[in-house]
Amino acid sequence: MATMAESIVLPDASAGEHGDPREHLMLDPRPRGEMNAMVLESMHKTSKKFWGVVIFLVLTIAFALVGAWGYMIANGMGVTGLTRPEYWGIFIVNTVFWIGISHAGTFISALLRVMKYEVRRPFTRAAELMTTFGLVQAGISIFMHLGRVWLAYWLVPYPNVRTLWPNFHSPLMWDFMAINTYVIASTMYLFLPLLPDLAMARDRSTGWRKTFYRIISLGFRGTEAEWKHLKAAMNIFAFAIIPVMFSVHTIVSWDFAMATRPGWASSVFGPYFVIGALQSGIAAVLIVLFMIRSTMKNMKYFIRPEHFDFLGKLSLIVSMAWAYFFFNDYLVPWYGGDKFDKLLLDFHAHGPFAWVWVYMLIGNIVIPWAILWNKKWRRKPWLMLIVGIVINVAMWIERFVIIPVSLTITRMPFTWRLYHPSIEIPLTIGTFALFMLLYMLASRLIPMVPVWEVQEGQNAHTLRKVGKAEVTSVSEVD
Amino acid sequence: MAETVTLLALFADIDPTVKAIDKLHEMGIADNKMDIISGIPFSHEMLGRPKVSTLVPRLAMGGAMLGLIAALFFIFGIPGLFPLHVGGQPVFPIPPLYIIGFEMIMLGLMGTAFLGLFLAGRFPSYEPKVYVPEISDGKIAVVFPCSDEMQPQFTDALMSLGAEQVRPVEAKTL
Repeated sequence: MATMAESIVLPDASAGEHGDPREHLMLDPRPRGEMNAMVLESMHKTSKKFWGVVIFLVLTIAFALVGAWGYMIANGMGVTGLTRPEYWGIFIVNTVFWIGISHAGTFISALLRVMKYEVRRPFTRAAELMTTFGLVQAGISIFMHLGRVWLAYWLVPYPNVRTLWPNFHSPLMWDFMAINTYVIASTMYLFLPLLPDLAMARDRSTGWRKTFYRIISLGFRGTEAEWKHLKAAMNIFAFAIIPVMFSVHTIVSWDFAMATRPGWASSVFGPYFVIGALQSGIAAVLIVLFMIRSTMKNMKYFIRPEHFDFLGKLSLIVSMAWAYFFFNDYLVPWYGGDKFDKLLLDFHAHGPFAWVWVYMLIGNIVIPWAILWNKKWRRKPWLMLIVGIVINVAMWIERFVIIPVSLTITRMPFTWRLYHPSIEIPLTIGTFALFMLLYMLASRLIPMVPVWEVQEGQNAHTLRKVGKAEVTSVSEVD
Repeated sequence: MAETVTLLALFADIDPTVKAIDKLHEMGIADNKMDIISGIPFSHEMLGRPKVSTLVPRLAMGGAMLGLIAALFFIFGIPGLFPLHVGGQPVFPIPPLYIIGFEMIMLGLMGTAFLGLFLAGRFPSYEPKVYVPEISDGKIAVVFPCSDEMQPQFTDALMSLGAEQVRPVEAKTL
């Protein structure tokens, strides 16, 4: 029988590098059957509080997303705060933000898999799910921005009676291609390592769950040939999806950088956007891991302070890189002396939205640097939750500053006007609620921890005596 | 004439499994008559088995080529059929070819790698198969056919090498 989360006694989290080796998941193995039971119990046992939150989210979605969007469709885009010169507002901010969030899954899962970072094993699935559901929100947000959403199919290149084809010269069309490639690829990439876990769930389920898992596990058993094909496909995906990930946010940045507007026409926008995506994505993984660990049974065994420590270090490095690109993006127009660029920089720092610009810098640089350098603090999940939230708010604001705030200052001063979002606010709340709802429901259907990967990793780890110390030794098994 | 049964031997670890595979070779069971089913992947080198080939990478390369062809159509075919004049740019622009080409090649590569898994692994497959749920609990199963009268010898040999159980199995719906 699975061990209840409350009964799991973990070694002292502050034990440090030479503390109890059992603080590392890979050096604290349990029988596979027990780990399977722990993961399944976390999926099957659902509290009333869980359903209470689900009902709250469904109601929020009904009013804030479905209701508000229906109202906008019925009354037109005039109900938004979009008008000259800010034709792009919070819908585009949300699109860029959610695509950024979606980068974490690929980065954490694919890049760490390619680099053989063992620490990745228990939380790759949580990150991959974020990618898929983040992209759903990005898609919804861009559909909101379309206004006449029922004509969205005009983006699809197919012969039609209007003899109109999408313009492949346009960055927006490149974006459509890149995001669709990423949506399809990341969904398939989520499914591949899930297959053995679905087979495991099939073997231990009854009723409708048995039928469900039997169908989606496709008849997987774990023969040598099946593993070979699966590993080959996973290997191809792990390598191929990384450049696609980089391309997606680079192309998103070109939606802005290809326009000759103050604040947008920047050759550094591609890497600046990619690093921003990683900044928000890794911070979002911190939030998700905290929620999984604290709300799902038995997850304290799988998600440990060492994982927050690792992600904290990663977040610190990415935060430094973000600061570097931000400064690049700031310095060149400041030095260049173009009148409207200077006006825009002044507007950012001293205009009515200066407080959000300042928060962006505090949330993306000051707070991560002040906290994440300290190993003890990085190992405190509640503190990492706070850092994750602070960074994500700052990264949402970064996109807000880049899009509607920067659009305020055009080369035609008579058009200058402040952006005042209206129906965009409930719609934004709606997308966040939908993301949470999808994630919560998925956590009841999909094993949140890739148990087979954890077992594979635990088999590869041993302790070896070097002098008087015991050090971790890892065999390369995959 | 002796009946043929399918025997399934369950092992807790890879070392006794490998010894059992060697023993089965000695007892006349060829590699192509044996199946190893496990809850985590083991390489053929670890198991001492012949290399298993997979079509997935080759299919993926074919998909990448299809992606390139689609990209060429989007970049050269469509503007040829419906020319769009964008300020200062040629009708057949080269830089966007790299972008559309890259995305389509990657989509083709990964899409066919995914479909390749279905083709090569013959998924989905819901017909009855030899399997026991203990495999996804981390046990390693060695499955092989043997004659009815040889069953005790195989059972004794594998139990002495550390098998947790050896039993005849039939294919059943998973």
